[in-house]
Amino acid sequence: MKCSKINDIYDYIEGSLAPERTQELERHLGTCPSCRRAVEDRRLVAGAASGLPPFAVPEDFTDQVMARIAPLKIKPPVWLIILAFASAWLAVASVILLASGKSVLGIISGASHSLWEYVKGAAVFTAKAATLLTLAGKTLRPLAEACYKGFSALTSIIDPGFQALILVLALGLVVSLFFGMRKKLSLGE
Amino acid sequence: MKEEQDQALVKRTLRGDKKAFEMIVRKYQQPLLNYVGRMVGEREMALDFTQDVFVRAYASLRSYEPRFKFSTWLYKIASNLIIDHWRKKKLPTFSLSEPLDPEEDCLTLDVPDGEPGVSRKFELAELRLRIETALEKLPGPLRELFVWRHVNELSYEEMAEIKDLPLGTIKNRVFQAKEMVRRLLQEMS
Repeated sequence: MKCSKINDIYDYIEGSLAPERTQELERHLGTCPSCRRAVEDRRLVAGAASGLPPFAVPEDFTDQVMARIAPLKIKPPVWLIILAFASAWLAVASVILLASGKSVLGIISGASHSLWEYVKGAAVFTAKAATLLTLAGKTLRPLAEACYKGFSALTSIIDPGFQALILVLALGLVVSLFFGMRKKLSLGE
Repeated sequence: MKEEQDQALVKRTLRGDKKAFEMIVRKYQQPLLNYVGRMVGEREMALDFTQDVFVRAYASLRSYEPRFKFSTWLYKIASNLIIDHWRKKKLPTFSLSEPLDPEEDCLTLDVPDGEPGVSRKFELAELRLRIETALEKLPGPLRELFVWRHVNELSYEEMAEIKDLPLGTIKNRVFQAKEMVRRLLQEMS
């Protein structure tokens, strides 16, 4: 028998071999005592293995397991959480209403008035911030232009190789400063 | 029906009914101990491990997905626990998805003409004892499959789900385990 046939033999023993393959195998077994013995042998081992004795479970095993487990935290259903939140909110709203002595409409109109005041204040603040930024831009622009011109003049004077050297040194300085600061500030890993 | 009962018991446990979990323990303690016992060898250790399986299952019951069979989920927990134990003990193990040595990967019939099969040489009780001894010598991952198939009577589909491997791979490995047991029985005779 070929290598692949052993799977057929196990499938045959377990009764899961396709009908046409079963017929083919049974025809072969009729003429081959060696394979017949092989099948019989495997069937007997499988039968014996399926009846291996169970391990004895101590009588108090379940109690021991139950004593080891901590009670599960009960998770309430979602609808219950929503209901609880809604009830709590209603209770708080009722207390506020009672304490203020105002009607529901009065509280809503008061809240919307406050909201409008906040919106107005935010608009004024944004306008002032925008004006300040424009002014800062106008003041700093000539300074930035002068810096750029000065830097251009400097790079045209210095040799490119020397420039690269300065850049590498500056980078080294920045890196060492960074690691030095890391240690000082105990930023650690 | 059996699976529906398990699902109902899980639901009751999640609602805080500890009695339901006790029923789960009583139902699965014997099959789990039969499996764990043959995987770790020592009885006391097997009892501790089986308890651990239930404790872990209870603690992570919320992560159990009902689309899987509850029993396969329990066996998966047990299997992971045993693999951890093997790793800690530095016991030799291998992945079932990797081929063993090429000769063992190719299953062949090896019953010489005229010689009685191994199972014919022993009485049933003797044969069972020798199978237990052969199992101890079997590599852990193959022993696990052999025990699941013959002692726990799991289907190939269930084993594939537990090990997260293709059905064909599992089937081939189970046949390999059976052939190894047979070979070991032959060596003993």
